[in-house]
Amino acid sequence: MVNWVTFLDISLSGLGLGALYALVAMGFSLIYKVTGVLNFAQGQIAMVGAYGVVIFGTATVLPAAIPAWAAVLVTVLLGVVLGLALERVVFRQFIGEPVLSVIIVTLALGSILEGVIFFLYGQNAQAYPGALTLGGQLSLPLGTSIQAAYAVAVAIALIVVAVLMLFFRQTVTGSILRASASDEQAAMVLGVSIERTIALAWTLSIAITALGGILLATSSGGAAVSIENTGIIIFAAVVLGGLDSIPGAFIGSIVVGVLQELGSYYLVGGTAVYVPFTNIQANFGAGFGEILPLILLLVVILVKPYGLFGTERIERL
Amino acid sequence: MPCGEYFTDYESRMGLVRWRTQKIALALGLPIPFIAPFLLGGGTVTLLTQAYIFTIAVLGLNVILGYAGEIVLAQGAFMAIGAYSTSRLLAVGAGLLPALAVGGIISASVAVGFGLPSFRVKGFYIAISTLALQFIAEEWFFVNPQLAFIHGGTTQSLPSNVGVVGPVGALGTTIDKYLLALVLLLAFALLSLNLSRTGIGKTFRAIHENDLSASVLGVNVFKNKLLAFAIGGFMIGVAGGMFGFQIGFINAEYFTLGLTLEHYVMLLFGGLGRVWGALLGVGVVTLVQDYLNEGLNYLADLTGTNSTALLPVFFGAIIIVVLAVEPKGVLAGLGKIKEYLRTWPFAY
Repeated sequence: MVNWVTFLDISLSGLGLGALYALVAMGFSLIYKVTGVLNFAQGQIAMVGAYGVVIFGTATVLPAAIPAWAAVLVTVLLGVVLGLALERVVFRQFIGEPVLSVIIVTLALGSILEGVIFFLYGQNAQAYPGALTLGGQLSLPLGTSIQAAYAVAVAIALIVVAVLMLFFRQTVTGSILRASASDEQAAMVLGVSIERTIALAWTLSIAITALGGILLATSSGGAAVSIENTGIIIFAAVVLGGLDSIPGAFIGSIVVGVLQELGSYYLVGGTAVYVPFTNIQANFGAGFGEILPLILLLVVILVKPYGLFGTERIERL
Repeated sequence: MPCGEYFTDYESRMGLVRWRTQKIALALGLPIPFIAPFLLGGGTVTLLTQAYIFTIAVLGLNVILGYAGEIVLAQGAFMAIGAYSTSRLLAVGAGLLPALAVGGIISASVAVGFGLPSFRVKGFYIAISTLALQFIAEEWFFVNPQLAFIHGGTTQSLPSNVGVVGPVGALGTTIDKYLLALVLLLAFALLSLNLSRTGIGKTFRAIHENDLSASVLGVNVFKNKLLAFAIGGFMIGVAGGMFGFQIGFINAEYFTLGLTLEHYVMLLFGGLGRVWGALLGVGVVTLVQDYLNEGLNYLADLTGTNSTALLPVFFGAIIIVVLAVEPKGVLAGLGKIKEYLRTWPFAY
């Protein structure tokens, strides 16, 4: 018999994980909408964000550490600078190049970032400074509970998502971003500087991706190489939600997060469920939780490639 | 083109060896790789063998990516499938060639399976469906001990002395492996060259350039894409099996996304869609990688840091620079220089 409290617990942490993925996924969708670049380096950028706090907040690489909150701020600023630099130095060269070139450039970029992190820290997990790690459990109604660090990370993620949504809907800059995403030519005619918009989109995208990486790391107590896998898992989220839809990316992330957590609990190891009416345990082995979203991804690509909210691309000769 | 030689019929125009210079070059050049292992040291022979094997894999990638234009990011997974299948068949004594062939066929079927989404979508979607395959293979399938009944264990040792077919014609020395890799490479290079000259290759190119136009002109796009996946997947699988046999030991860690990227560097550096580009790319990149590895190891010993982790950084930088400066690869760049010198000093 399924224990409902456990089920709610797992689903809840799945929702939380989804909210954390949402930041990375929205970074991806934003860039795709505005510039048409499919960024395969999202996972590595998130990892750089996660390790950035370790670089600045602890004295492992730099001679002295700065306070934890400042380290987070510096890392997000680093994301902004990285976004500007990448747009200016790398991606501007590839405007109008075929999709293949751009995809491979992002893959190469991912491998560069990964190489730098591995150079600095090897493949070991690094603990976060004490101020960023919270102990204890937070009790919620219906007998469920969630780790405090996790709850804080999720809360921040949700606030950022809400602010971003408001930014896109309510501010002039947000409208400019949406306008250039939907029709670049028309926006240009109306006096929008596409150059500046693209630069803004890159900075925003990389900053929120880095923040997503930081929050993923705080929710698990420290930066780890496994954050890199987020880059592949969010593809499941953005494809399910529809590639060019930012709310779609959010909803897709939630679905993927819940799926991953349920999969890791109910289909892996000793807690796995039994196949109905048999004595066989449905244990698919370690790491299957992360595989489940990818299976969903393959199914979505086969059945409904434009996702739930994406616009179907109609091609003409 | 040399002066005074011209084509009088279609066959000689489309021939692989067309001019007298080329005939002489072939007669002089072909024996060199066959004699080389008897003159070179063991280390160099092993390095060359590995380069030949990677060339086969890159040629397979070239069929899918260069000819048909589908972005496949599962190079590592396809090679792993070929390697593990070959290992299992060698263990039951099937002989090397049947084992390689079956490994190739299994790899080809998986490639076709993951090419199925190309019925409705293209480009990016194929890239992520194959990336998902790579992730599943690397992070779960091949490292999962519960699935050992399929793949036979994450780490396996391959027999070092096996027959070519069944127990007949045993081979196992470094030179045997070298010659076998060379023969396979020549066979697959010839296959690729011929593929690009025949109707199938032209159909692939039409799909690459504009699949919608191709389908309007009556090309069955879906069937031809799957065909490209099958041919390419077969070659990559055979290369994987041969790779396993050459080093005599396989581990899931060999077949990561990093391997995929390495092969992309090789293909893009040499020139996408050209057999000679693949050969040149693998040659240059293998040499550079060898030197870089040595240098970084030296640096690591000197400074006490793990600078060997910086190798992907160099590869990433090479890809970006090549794509920004000469997207068609070094071979196209050399062609430009040749054209410039041919007409110099009167360019017009």
